[in-house]
Amino acid sequence: MMNNFFRRFFNTEFLPMSEVKKIKITLVMFFLLIITAITIPFSFFFKYDLIVKIIVLAALVLGFILIALLIRWNKISAAAQVSIVYTIALTVYYTGGTSSFYGYLFFFIALTIIIFYQEIYSYLSFGTLVVALGMYFIYMHQADLMAVEDIANSFYIYAIILFTFYLIFLVQILYNEKIYIDLNYDWVKMNHLIARYQDSSLSYLNELDKKSRIQPSYEDVRFQKAVGDVSIFLSEQFRENGKEIINVRDLYLYIHERGLKKILENEEFSVATKKIANRLDKFLLNGRTDMTSMIFNFYTKFRSTAPLKENRYEYALDKLTQKRDEQIIALALLYQYLASEMSGFDEWDRMDRPLSHQEIAELMMSPEMEEFFSAELIAFFKDNGDLFEKYLARKS
Amino acid sequence: MQRKQTYVFSEIEEYREMLENRHLRTKNLFVLILTTILGIAVVTYMFITRYELNATLSLMTGFIVVILFNFACLAYGQENHRFNQMNQYTTTLGVFGIALAMIFIFKSPSMIATLFIAYAITAFYQDMKAMLLSNAFLLFAVIAILFKFPEYLDFANSGADNDFGVPFFFLVFIIILTISSYIIIKQKRFFYNQIALSKETEFRNIDLMIDLQKQATGKTIDLAKYYESVSEFAKAFTKKIETENVLQEKIQLLQELENHTSYATLLAKYPQYSKEDFDHLDDLLMGNHEKLMKLAIKISFAKDVHVKKREIFSETQFKSFNHQHDSLDIKILAFAVFYTSLKRGNAMMRPLTEEEIYNVLVYTDYYYTIDPRIMHIYQENNQVFDDIVTDDLGRRGK
Repeated sequence: MMNNFFRRFFNTEFLPMSEVKKIKITLVMFFLLIITAITIPFSFFFKYDLIVKIIVLAALVLGFILIALLIRWNKISAAAQVSIVYTIALTVYYTGGTSSFYGYLFFFIALTIIIFYQEIYSYLSFGTLVVALGMYFIYMHQADLMAVEDIANSFYIYAIILFTFYLIFLVQILYNEKIYIDLNYDWVKMNHLIARYQDSSLSYLNELDKKSRIQPSYEDVRFQKAVGDVSIFLSEQFRENGKEIINVRDLYLYIHERGLKKILENEEFSVATKKIANRLDKFLLNGRTDMTSMIFNFYTKFRSTAPLKENRYEYALDKLTQKRDEQIIALALLYQYLASEMSGFDEWDRMDRPLSHQEIAELMMSPEMEEFFSAELIAFFKDNGDLFEKYLARKS
Repeated sequence: MQRKQTYVFSEIEEYREMLENRHLRTKNLFVLILTTILGIAVVTYMFITRYELNATLSLMTGFIVVILFNFACLAYGQENHRFNQMNQYTTTLGVFGIALAMIFIFKSPSMIATLFIAYAITAFYQDMKAMLLSNAFLLFAVIAILFKFPEYLDFANSGADNDFGVPFFFLVFIIILTISSYIIIKQKRFFYNQIALSKETEFRNIDLMIDLQKQATGKTIDLAKYYESVSEFAKAFTKKIETENVLQEKIQLLQELENHTSYATLLAKYPQYSKEDFDHLDDLLMGNHEKLMKLAIKISFAKDVHVKKREIFSETQFKSFNHQHDSLDIKILAFAVFYTSLKRGNAMMRPLTEEEIYNVLVYTDYYYTIDPRIMHIYQENNQVFDDIVTDDLGRRGK
């Protein structure tokens, strides 16, 4: 288990946000455990009554258990918020009990834990609270924070440095938030586009299967048996009766046969079964799902591909060539492709026809084309639309 | 020995680096602005409080050197991105150097926290090497203060808890800061990797679609007709703008490249062009899997692709067999279906061998798309999986 945790920790760049959040909260828990443990000996030095110390320590233990339970129940965001509150509570306890320099350090520790989560609203609310508490601490204990020989009004320096630290990370979190949203937007958009390619690929694949009289895998008894046996083998590693998983396999195959909608509408099925069916939907093989996408992507690894070139992912025409004559020829070829090949979608989102001149003109003027063509090139198309239509459009 | 985990498509490395460099310039700019503001604040404070002129001028020089070097790297970084990379490390050294100088000049415990400011500034780079440099500097400075210059922490009213508390919480702070920076850097890499990975996935999926379309429909593009029409178009266009037909030669050349005429023949026929020109023109070909063909497909698919706000950062966008809300049974079944499908093959792909599947599942990002418990069982028993499926699919002995 520890091995697996460290492997995931050192390979965080492969994990989605939810997994990373889990790792973060586990690490924070570890540090909070150490700090909480060390709080017991430190409490002897704090200026609280014994009963207050006992109550606070008991509350901290309870808080720690609460975070652990929230993680167990998969309430990761709630666990993160509670861990921040827990850290602030620890900060208040420490800084209320001591006026020493390490109390000042505690505010940086609290801020770093909040920064760790990289959530702007948490930082703005809890982070600001920590800074405010820090300012109060510095103001109240200015004499204790001064060295025997110190510069005049050094407490201002303490306050300014704490505030600057907070501010720099605020700028950083805001900047990260912006670029992550932009990157994620591009990524999601690309996912949609890839899904469309795969929709088409899947329909061609089905055609090919039909032509070759190959059964779809989910209807192939040998495939069904293999899936069942692999599932049983895996299931038996977790529980005594691994054969129960066959019910899930049968439900999975039944969804292919009847469709999810009919199963959800059927009152004979229990709510639990419907829930499982709903979750299985993304793994079906008879449409473009996560399962088929992952199979397609896996297969592409084993297909030959063009050698790597610097502009491998560059599609903007003015980046492919900067020469105007070449751009015009390329634009004419592109027009002809759209006007001659299957490029238009029908109402069921299937590509089934070439585009008319009117449709191409609309497409060229759409905002999506700014990614591929410069404004000059689009203007060129607009000015010479008649020539494109006359010489390159499909003759009916 | 365990092999290093990598991405399924090795092609993405270069693009990811390019993405990082693109953002590095902005980060450099942010650091420059922050350093300038802090420099002005520190020097102004020293002038107002009439601090020793020598010390003030030394610090001012330190800030000016760091700032000027940043400007120079930003300027040269436009030509060569290595200047932007180098700037991270030199600025890290510079900023920490200034922080240390401030501690020694002011000799006040309040100034020790300037090291944290230096760390915060350099954390902007989100670079592993810059982070290591910052950590080394921070650790070295803290150890030096604790053991070599303890007088900087000689407080007027110091308790016994301070003697233990200060080094302990310094240590805790540095460790938390390091781990936090490490994870944040990795998280940034995740986003860049996803973008790069999706670009390569798109590239390969377009290729796959072109081939499947050809196989399923039996149709290929009539390139001769395409070029004939484009020639007509060029003739009409040049006539319209009343110039000679300068496009025709390029059209002919492109057509010959489409027909795979050898470079030697083309060089003899078009002596004014070079091999590099032909390589460049390859991107404007329409046949097979060439760039222009891909662009045409991309254009026809790009219309009306809308992203909803709730889809951004949504877990459902991440294709995986390890969704946190799925039960173990569902995860097992999903893996079984996936594995068996790869072994079975289909009209587009031959059945994959156990070694091919194992190497991708275990040593690439696919590893993290599968529940770790299932992955562990597969790793330990992959031969059993292979035997089960080979037997059931009736491929034994073939």
